[in-house]
Amino acid sequence: MNDLLEIIDVNKNYHTKNGEVKAIKNINFKIKRGEIVSIVGPSGCGKSTLLSIISGLDKDYYGEILKNKDLKIAYMLQSDALLPWLTIYENAILGLKVKKIVNDESLEYVNYLFNFYNLNEFKNSYPKNLSGGMRQRVALIRTLALKPDLLLLDEPFSALDQQSRLLISDDVYKIVKKEKKTVILVTHNIEEAVSFSDRVIVLSKRPSQIKNIINIDFLNQESIYERRKEKKYHQYFDTIWKDLDINES
Amino acid sequence: MSLDQKRYLHKLHLDKIKVIICQILLIVTFLFLWEYLVNKGIISSFIYSSPSRVVKTIIELIQNHNFFNHIYITLKEVFISFTLGISLGFLIALILYEFKFLAKVIDPFLTMLNSLPKVALGPLIIIACGANIKSIILMALLINLIVSIITIYNGFLGTDEYILKLFKTLGASRLQILTKLVIPSSYQTIIASFKLGIAQTLIGVIMGEFLVSKEGIGYLIVYGKQVFNLNYVMTGIILLGIISYILYKLIIILENKLLKHL
Ligand SMILES: Nc1ncnc2c1ncn2[C@@H]1O[C@H](COP(=O)(O)OP(=O)(O)OP(=O)(O)O)[C@@H](O)[C@H]1O
Ligand SMILES: [Mg+2]
Repeated sequence: MNDLLEIIDVNKNYHTKNGEVKAIKNINFKIKRGEIVSIVGPSGCGKSTLLSIISGLDKDYYGEILKNKDLKIAYMLQSDALLPWLTIYENAILGLKVKKIVNDESLEYVNYLFNFYNLNEFKNSYPKNLSGGMRQRVALIRTLALKPDLLLLDEPFSALDQQSRLLISDDVYKIVKKEKKTVILVTHNIEEAVSFSDRVIVLSKRPSQIKNIINIDFLNQESIYERRKEKKYHQYFDTIWKDLDINES
Repeated sequence: MSLDQKRYLHKLHLDKIKVIICQILLIVTFLFLWEYLVNKGIISSFIYSSPSRVVKTIIELIQNHNFFNHIYITLKEVFISFTLGISLGFLIALILYEFKFLAKVIDPFLTMLNSLPKVALGPLIIIACGANIKSIILMALLINLIVSIITIYNGFLGTDEYILKLFKTLGASRLQILTKLVIPSSYQTIIASFKLGIAQTLIGVIMGEFLVSKEGIGYLIVYGKQVFNLNYVMTGIILLGIISYILYKLIIILENKLLKHL
């Protein structure tokens, strides 16, 4: 079996004092090992909810998530969630510490990542001294240090300016491809979804269902800049734009 | 360092010196005016004492009345009640944070205790604990504890929810979440509760000494009132002013040490 994850008939309702919110309805899809899948949809449609369910944080839902018991999942959020009182390096190994897997091998990998992202000279600085893009890279190192099989990214770049956003998403793309990670990326940005992924899942408004799944089939698998130059890029963009029906909402 | 940067630093330094000079001038003028008005009989020396009388009183207290013991006693009471107050406050806040249900249940009672004028409990405390240091500490605790609990608990609740979510996705245990996240991220509030706590503790201790009336600065003030020697009262007030300033400064120093990177 090549599927890493299978989502079967997942439904989720939130209950509040003011009533019930039907967040997601009958969601079904599979994720293959090594695949990068983006999820786009109108705001508030339930994308974060879906990621929470997949990650195992939220156990209160209907349906089934099939995955290997010891599948290692890491979650990266919109906020870099760095602890201000720890140095950059201490922040980067926080996950290893919490999971109690600090050892020569894992630390060596962290050092490798610091080199890869050119952050060596900031190891002993504190988060407040770093730019948004650099902080997000540290958060990424913290996530990758755990060597996850599946990376869940919830709008990880949306707090950044356009330039850092492109740079860091290209960084992420490269490392994810190199290490053959499986990724689910939630984003509002259609361009990001198209250039980043092998497949884009478009969700409808709440209660959200799958509206369309688009296979993205670029020649280039190395850099999002190159992918953006290909002819098919605009076709994909238009298809998703129409599916999202921005005007309707 | 560039010339502009040097100029900027120099200006900062100058500003600081100016502020200190003005503060000293203010104190000197005040003391001088006070002495002058009393000497000229414009205000009553019996009620308002005077700087020279305060100095004389202090000398007299040192010679005949164990002056330093009174200060020591008050400081000791403050230290014990303060330490007890913040440790208990911290502990109870932790328990409330961990057991949200309990927090909901006792919330109205905390609010009630917080707004109750604790001095009303004075007679009860004296009868229950006797006229001794225990009553004083209990009085101070009643005053500083509730505030500590509420401040620290709110600090815990203010933990960044994204980081909390991160810890949960890392599979952190409740203990790890507390020790690695919730407590360190509340350092600022905890220090703020120290500042509130030290002021509250002083109020409580002096109130307690008023009630128990054996020794301490509060006792000096009550004694002065009883024998109609208001020099004692004024001396006590000035001492309290100096002590509260020094204690507050100590906390600021601690704060700067602890919160360097925030
Ligand atoms: N804890 C909660 N309690 C009640 N309702 C919630 C809760 N969390 C989310 N919701 C509601 O569920 C819906 C889906 O929320 P979710 O955060 O998953 O959307 P989203 O697609 O990630 O939105 P965004 O694009 O703004 O990030 C929203 O309408 C939201 O108001
Ligand atoms: Mg979201």
